[in-house]
Amino acid sequence: MALTFTRQAAGGLLATLAFVAVTGPALAEGEKIAVITPYLAQPGTQFYVEAFQARAAELGWEVNVIDTAGDVAAVISRMEDVTNQGVDAIVLNVDPQQVGAGLDVAAAANIPVFGMDAGADPRIKANITSNGYAMAAETAVYVANRIGGEGNVVMFTFDAFPPVQVRGVIADAVFANYPDITVLDRVTPDVSDGGIADSRAKMEAILAANPEPGSVKAVWAAWDQPALGALQAIEAAGRQGEGIVITGIDANPEAREAIAASGNFEASVAQDFAGIGRTTADTVARVLGGEDLRASVIYVPTRLITAANVAD
Amino acid sequence: MIGFLRSYGTLAGMVGIILVFWIALPDTFMTARNWLNISQQLSMLIVVAATMTVVMVTGDFDLSVGAMASLAGVVAATLFQLGFGIPAAIGAALLTGFLGGVVNGVLVSLLGILPFVATLATLTMFSGAAFIVSGGKTISGKAIPEAFAAFARRGLEIGTIADRPAVVPWLTLLALGTVGLVWIVLRKLPYGRRLHAIGSNAEAARLAGVNVAGLRLSVFLFTGVGAAVAGVMYAARVASANPTQGDGLMLTAIAAVFLGMTVTRNGQPSVLATLAGVTILGVMDNGLTQLRVDSYVRDVLVGAIILAAVSISALGRRAAGTRQDRT
Repeated sequence: MALTFTRQAAGGLLATLAFVAVTGPALAEGEKIAVITPYLAQPGTQFYVEAFQARAAELGWEVNVIDTAGDVAAVISRMEDVTNQGVDAIVLNVDPQQVGAGLDVAAAANIPVFGMDAGADPRIKANITSNGYAMAAETAVYVANRIGGEGNVVMFTFDAFPPVQVRGVIADAVFANYPDITVLDRVTPDVSDGGIADSRAKMEAILAANPEPGSVKAVWAAWDQPALGALQAIEAAGRQGEGIVITGIDANPEAREAIAASGNFEASVAQDFAGIGRTTADTVARVLGGEDLRASVIYVPTRLITAANVAD
Repeated sequence: MIGFLRSYGTLAGMVGIILVFWIALPDTFMTARNWLNISQQLSMLIVVAATMTVVMVTGDFDLSVGAMASLAGVVAATLFQLGFGIPAAIGAALLTGFLGGVVNGVLVSLLGILPFVATLATLTMFSGAAFIVSGGKTISGKAIPEAFAAFARRGLEIGTIADRPAVVPWLTLLALGTVGLVWIVLRKLPYGRRLHAIGSNAEAARLAGVNVAGLRLSVFLFTGVGAAVAGVMYAARVASANPTQGDGLMLTAIAAVFLGMTVTRNGQPSVLATLAGVTILGVMDNGLTQLRVDSYVRDVLVGAIILAAVSISALGRRAAGTRQDRT
């Protein structure tokens, strides 16, 4: 009895494998594209990948989406596997600096590699992403205009992480261009708990040090979590009536909720994740069609989110 | 038949899996280049699993290896950032592993804390330390010396295949060297025989004059240093280090040892069987990726393979046991 069971179990498993093995290649037609990411579980990544797959289906491609569940070395391993299998292109969603070994393997086999919000590298044909400089400019000028070009502004930045660092640079430039705007503090919150709690604590300290109404006119945050923390601090201090303007970047669900509530949190910037996925597919198609890309970074436009359009 | 299934069921399954891939992927699977690839991909796991075998021979296990691999990688990368050379950075990483092993050994062997509890606690501590050392960030870019990353991309040239040089990766050689070393320790040295004695019956071993406490302490040095070696290999392969990158090694390594134990005649851990276990897990990843099977389906299949192997082994042993009872 036990023996029959084990025989069946082993047989069933092999049959499953055999089925997978037979049906897999039989489906293969058009171009074979591998999409490799350690971050498929993150909401943004899912949006790009789904949009990429939708566009790829229109183009008649066979797409293999591989999630390594956070393991970056496994990204290299899977790049080696798909190179060996002879795919037509590889799309990555990981910092290329960490997968150099895989990029070398793909380059040796003449397989083009593309970045979907990945980062720049000479071995990557093109990285398709949002323009961090442009996103920061959107919210920084929103703040400057809302406060009439004068008053004290608190900045929340994080220079250790390059994609966020570029946002801070632009906000510095915009605020420096207004003679009557003073940057009261440029805070780097502790992000180990997600960034909200420490930003709130820092903002509470700043509010305590500046008790006069109107002494803080705005909070510019390089991403949404510190903006949400600042909002909590302002509400906890009972100073939400002073018209302190808060902006974030990324337009995550909590930020959208806060913006929709028409409180102090007034604006954020949404990346077009689906647009990044679609544009990546189109860029792959251009290269496979023989085009030589001139720009190695391709930006997909972002959108300023305010109470006026948050419901769209 | 039962005896055959018990002894060779898992092996037959492994051969079956390899055959399925070979038939489905006639051009790309059973090639020297692909197997060299697989060997390099598995090298870090092999080092962790081989040293884990030593600990499991005495009946203990070490949950902290993944966190130690992360910590060792971060220690090496941080020293690079501070301007230290490659020998100093690797030396510090290995020393970290050694000290972590001493802590685990003392907790389990001298204080008598269950290995599950002790190494779960040190897992958390090592992981926290990795975050403290790195400041929670990924260390990459120019801080990592070119030669360090190159080690994980180069190897020993053994000729040419299809006009491209065939290279046995240094990582593969390092992994095989570790397996060889562990094999010698467990099979050829009196030390290894004493470990097996402790694993079969610690009390009997103690009465026979074996220094059980000292030996149980010493096995954790293998996993500590092995995890550190794997962490450094991982950091070289990705030319960077972050405080969680080795974490996944722990469960897979333990799975590989268990899978290996279903191959051995007496169900004892053996390093060559562990190597077979690691290989089959790696072959599944490689083959299913080449067949474009969804990553999540792949995870389910890998789990199912482990369960099937362990069930066959357990049921086979039980069937054999009943038969013996009857006679």
